[in-house]
Amino acid sequence: MEEYKIEMKINGERLVATTQADESLLKFLRRNGFFEVKCGCEKGECGTCTVILQGKAVKSCITLALQANNKEVWTIRGMEKFELGRKLQESFVQYGAIQCGFCTPGMILVAKAYLDKNPIPDRKEIKREIAGNLCRCTGYKKIIDAIYAVAEENKKMN
Amino acid sequence: MEKEQYDFIGQPLEIKNIGKVTGKELYSSDINIPGQLYAVILRSPHAHAEIKKVDYSEAVKVGAVCIGPQDVPEIIYNERIVSIPEKTYRDRTVLPKEKVRHKGEALVACAAETEEKAWAALQKIKIEWGKQWKPLLTLEKALSDDAPPIYDWVYLGEEKLKVKNNIACERNIEVGDVEEGFREADIVIEKTFHTQRVYHMQFETKSAVCVPEADGGITVWTTSQGIHNVRILLGNIFNLPLSKINIKRITLGGSFGSSIQMNSITPICVALALKAKKPVKLVSSREDDFYDHAKYPLKTILKVGVKKDGTFTAAHCRVWVEIGGHNIQAYPYLGCVAGWFASLYKWKNIKYEGTAVYTNKVPTCAMQGYGNPQINFAVESMIDILAEELKMDPINLRLKNYVGKGDEFWGQGPTVRSIIRSCGVEEMLLEGAKLAQWEKRVPHYQKKEVIRKGMGVARGFHTSGTGGPNPGEVIDYSGATIKINEDGSVDVLTALMDLGGGTWDALAKIVAEVLKVPFEKIGIYNGIDTRSTVFDVNTHATRGVYCGGGAVKFVAEKVKEILLNYAATLFKDLPENLVLSCNKELGQAIIYPREIPENYKTIGEIAEYAHTTSWGTLAYTSTLRQKNCPPCFITHFVEVEVNTRTGEVKIPRVVIMGDSGTIINPNLWEGQIIGAFSRGLGFGLLEETDYHPEDGSLRCKGLVTDYKIPTTLEMPKIEDIIVRSAHTYEPTGPFGAKGIGEAALSSVGPAIANAIYNAIGIRFYELPITPEKILKSLQEKEENLRKRRGE
Repeated sequence: MEEYKIEMKINGERLVATTQADESLLKFLRRNGFFEVKCGCEKGECGTCTVILQGKAVKSCITLALQANNKEVWTIRGMEKFELGRKLQESFVQYGAIQCGFCTPGMILVAKAYLDKNPIPDRKEIKREIAGNLCRCTGYKKIIDAIYAVAEENKKMN
Repeated sequence: MEKEQYDFIGQPLEIKNIGKVTGKELYSSDINIPGQLYAVILRSPHAHAEIKKVDYSEAVKVGAVCIGPQDVPEIIYNERIVSIPEKTYRDRTVLPKEKVRHKGEALVACAAETEEKAWAALQKIKIEWGKQWKPLLTLEKALSDDAPPIYDWVYLGEEKLKVKNNIACERNIEVGDVEEGFREADIVIEKTFHTQRVYHMQFETKSAVCVPEADGGITVWTTSQGIHNVRILLGNIFNLPLSKINIKRITLGGSFGSSIQMNSITPICVALALKAKKPVKLVSSREDDFYDHAKYPLKTILKVGVKKDGTFTAAHCRVWVEIGGHNIQAYPYLGCVAGWFASLYKWKNIKYEGTAVYTNKVPTCAMQGYGNPQINFAVESMIDILAEELKMDPINLRLKNYVGKGDEFWGQGPTVRSIIRSCGVEEMLLEGAKLAQWEKRVPHYQKKEVIRKGMGVARGFHTSGTGGPNPGEVIDYSGATIKINEDGSVDVLTALMDLGGGTWDALAKIVAEVLKVPFEKIGIYNGIDTRSTVFDVNTHATRGVYCGGGAVKFVAEKVKEILLNYAATLFKDLPENLVLSCNKELGQAIIYPREIPENYKTIGEIAEYAHTTSWGTLAYTSTLRQKNCPPCFITHFVEVEVNTRTGEVKIPRVVIMGDSGTIINPNLWEGQIIGAFSRGLGFGLLEETDYHPEDGSLRCKGLVTDYKIPTTLEMPKIEDIIVRSAHTYEPTGPFGAKGIGEAALSSVGPAIANAIYNAIGIRFYELPITPEKILKSLQEKEENLRKRRGE
């Protein structure tokens, strides 16, 4: 199959690599060493592989690598470059929002993309917004509490 | 309750999770070795068929390394070696030799330079099938006289047994005289209950990476709840000395019991790596994983005798479990179901008959509770049925008969029992009732709305570990090496796994508490393997904190003794005159002669002195077997809203009371309870692995959304998930602690069923209680009413 040269900015750093027309962004990222992007189902069902593409949280397993050509991608490893990313990371630890940790990167990225758009949502809105990301361990409460704590902090600052 | 002031126990500190929020945590599928091959598996398209010939020569021609039935060792094993060998049934080889026994059973594996090349090679494999049978997918079909045998014979220990009527094993237990007990009863009720097959849906699919080493040995990273058992099994299967096998302890992306046994893909990966003489990586697809493991279903016929005052006189419990194509642990499972049943209430006389039956479905294994949620559904539904018959409050009937302090608890079937020394059952039922506003509960016949509210209660428990005063049929011990490093920080080397519940943090806190070394200076998280650790049986049976924590506490106390003895020589004093405490400003443990704190030395100074004077390392290694199996208790008060037009059930509010003795990680304790509630909600209302009746395939086809696990939207209102702890102290546990993990799920299903009954007056005897079942029952109820009115 034909190889395409693509270029993207991942976590703020330029990456030039080759891909094929049918390669998912998930496979592309993991093949290039971004193992923090986890694979849960490869069918777009669980949200484990979520990354932020051009400011939007997407499931990288059902996004083609070619769709990210000349675009900006953020994984969990890039989150410490943002104040909001760091706050979410700290809040997840503080609230015990993590158990096995496999869904955690996706959850934090979905939360980051959402809070960027809507910095002070209530718990109900957060609950609805992250419904596409599944977690088998936590029962979601502490994840929602952790995101809400960051939203509360945003509220105080506004 | 004894009250102690702790420096670290019960503090909301979590270290493990920093790797998980930064993306630095590695799981088996993240391990990569230069030059590795990627493996994929060809799975059986048939549910029950004879394998005549496997020809992978065309796959080899395109560069793949392959293994088929002809290549794997003849060793017949059981992948779960937690029970003693003479009580372990063995029926499988690495790949099936003569026939496949369920659709999706691994049959041939290929490894190539890329996964794509491996898949391409896989397409070239030719299988010649012999006789094929219609799959046996239900208990009734598998037990029928004309059913084809799934096995002709299996092994129990070293004994070769003929399999009759597809019965994998049986277990019958009698205590007292049930017939006499039923004669004493005023009311006798018998009901049949069914719980379904559930898929674990752990987020990380089963994975392995195997490196063949220069000395002929292997190094393996794999999804496992117990690395030492994986090593013992691989040594046995591949005839390698254990000293040449090293299994790395690596974080698990969830498991819920599905990696107590060595996962089926692990020896496949090893066999490929040994044949290829190259590192091999094997990561299951989600569909592969769906075809690999499931929760045991259960059919229960329960008959209970009770006097008018609510005293039980006898219980007869008959259970059947269809286990699928392999017997992973059905014999201990039947024993455990008996134990959970016997330990819930004082039945006085009991008779238990358990039968496990082979079918042509995915092999079943433990999943959070090992039969406990299944039998709890029958018993806790029955208690409500009896309470209504007796016109008693369901809480009072429970309080009158529960097994509690001073009574005997069967922690792991009939052979592992100990006396209950801490029990929060009464507190949890009474306090929970207040929080849930139980007194406002209205009987179902007063409800006429379209959306009807109801409230239900159920209680349960699980064992903490599988220890008893006498070792029973289950192997249970843990161990550790603990060393004070040259700067006063501490390394804890234990093989015990953390499944995500916070076990490693809990163990670190226990060591910190004994040695008074700040929690942050305890190294427990990385760099552990079978070679560097003594044996630990497994993180199963809710034993992590109680047994694993008990073992590290024991070893840490030995290190403390060594430290104080050595320090005494420096202080020119007796060890009993020295005080060890934590100085949080210095970030160090300090030692000083009693009453003279200003003369302290930090243990960093002491350890450094031991090092520079070549005295040696302050360290100790040992193992410990806990000699009790204390139950951790749970109580669920669930509120439901049943929509009588759509059959949908919503859970707006839940009150959960837990009894774990001292709580070591408060945040994660609560998190485990809420997580278990979500899985219980799936078990109660949503989840079932449904099979195609003709070909034995999974109807969800490996798709998560077709299978359906709870999302955020199915959970109660976040503010209305209320979790509280009982005030108890377990005298045999580390700092008074017991477990929580599996207990937390045990009574969710019946609490939901009891709440639905309270809402609409319909009793469900089968899980999951789907909208379809509710609508059908409502229609039937309506029709019966009409008939009765003569319409």
